[in-house]
Amino acid sequence: MTPSARRWVARLYCALVFGFLMLPVAVVVLASFSTTAYLTIPPQGVTLRWYGRVLESADYLSAIGTSLLLASVATVCALVIGTATSYALVRRALPGKAVVSAVVMSPLIFPGVVIGVALLQFYAALGLAGSFAGLVLAHVVITVPYVVRTTLASLSGLDAQLEDAACTLGADRLTAFWKVTLPLMRPGIVAGGLFAFITSFDNVPVSIFLTGVGTTTLPVKIFTAIEFGVDPTVAAVSSLLILTTALALVLAERWVGFHRFT
Amino acid sequence: MPEPGRHSPGVHRRWDLAGLGLLSPLLLLLLFAFLLPIATLIPTSLRPYIAGTGIGEGLTLEHYVKALTDGFYLEIILRTVVLGLVVTLLTLVVGYPLAYVLARSTSRWRHWLMLLVVFPLLLNLVVRTFGWIALLARRGLVNQWLMGLGLTEEPVRLMFNFTGLLIGLTHIFLPFMVLVLVAVIQNIPREVEDAARTLGAGFWSVFMRVTLPLSVPGILSGSILVFVLTISALVTPRLLGGPTYKVMSTLIYEQFLQLLNWPAGSAMAVVMTLIVLALILLGTRLARRWEAQA
Repeated sequence: MTPSARRWVARLYCALVFGFLMLPVAVVVLASFSTTAYLTIPPQGVTLRWYGRVLESADYLSAIGTSLLLASVATVCALVIGTATSYALVRRALPGKAVVSAVVMSPLIFPGVVIGVALLQFYAALGLAGSFAGLVLAHVVITVPYVVRTTLASLSGLDAQLEDAACTLGADRLTAFWKVTLPLMRPGIVAGGLFAFITSFDNVPVSIFLTGVGTTTLPVKIFTAIEFGVDPTVAAVSSLLILTTALALVLAERWVGFHRFT
Repeated sequence: MPEPGRHSPGVHRRWDLAGLGLLSPLLLLLLFAFLLPIATLIPTSLRPYIAGTGIGEGLTLEHYVKALTDGFYLEIILRTVVLGLVVTLLTLVVGYPLAYVLARSTSRWRHWLMLLVVFPLLLNLVVRTFGWIALLARRGLVNQWLMGLGLTEEPVRLMFNFTGLLIGLTHIFLPFMVLVLVAVIQNIPREVEDAARTLGAGFWSVFMRVTLPLSVPGILSGSILVFVLTISALVTPRLLGGPTYKVMSTLIYEQFLQLLNWPAGSAMAVVMTLIVLALILLGTRLARRWEAQA
């Protein structure tokens, strides 16, 4: 095979794999505009009715509200705790750093369903079952590793002497951190915040065991809706999620070069 | 004013305390909202289950014995592990060429292509699985196409079986594999490949004898990641497999939320955790051995 033929084979292959990756996404968007409950290609008719149905549904709106609030609170907590952790891991002489890092990162690979049932049982004993606070705690646990990972990446590329220089010039430790180190960590913090927000907003395997009446999150609501039977409002609300995710990703790339953190 | 001689160690210790102070919120959170709750699954898994009331008194190993000897449970565990292996192999075979092209690409579109890999990963899992339902259902698009092309008379069963889970899970975890592989292939210095080429090796020979062996650590960590994520996946197996075609995580889900048999569910969760931990340990060992050899 000549190099140029090989290049074309490579391009074709990539197009095929990307096609496979995007296929279900495209199908969901198409289904959301379809007049029939079961999607056909070509669609039998185009309608915005299902979007209207989502925006009229008190259930969906309250689930969206819960998810947004939960993801925001969890992200802010994860950012504060995660940045503090990275800072301590990089800049402080502490024993057992490797063990600490491993424990901090372990929720990333730990089965979500096990975390979910463990917390269900734990919260039931503590009277936290179905509470918003319980959901927040669980979501901070599963989102904080993302923040630690991205802020570690940002921080380890920084010269520790910058902060010392600020101190020499009269700033105290906190001011030096706030005015020098924190702004330089911005890309890692933004990327970590985005990962945390999306991870929290998307989570089902942990949330499904912890939500109660009035604290149902959007993905859990969609999940139960699908279990009851496919209906086109699911496609409409899913398409809204697809659009928001795509926008967030493009903005994050423009703002901090998101691809560097993947 | 402290004496000059004692100043320095005092400061040193105080800074270590500051470091510990910065770490403590996360360590406390992980202790009370992660490690301790998971550890509490062990005592629950040793309790007898009494229909109607739930958790009984006394200690018993019956849930573990059942999980490891009863045909029903064994089949589910075996199915989960086989599914994990096949999905890992598929994502590796499909993902490696893509990762290679992306890692070696000099195109100005490369960043956006990488983001196209990340996008499905960030997209809600339920949404992606819903797309597969629309495709794989009895009256779904794939069956419409197959019947439209005259390839089949009756709709083919693509959901509530191994095929459906395999397609859905491969789709979900392919981006993870690609991202891990891209990172590793990128770190292989091009000079090494160039040197082999200068010495007369062709493209495939360079690939098989230089690039592939050097990317083994990535293959290993990507495979472990995908395997662990596959055997613990809940949403996709539940939605594409339904209540009848069970895997370990959907069984745990049922036992906790529908049958309210927490002891048996806890036992299954402990078994799953042990499988995951064993694999991660094995993976780390293998990676270390490989690097020591290289």
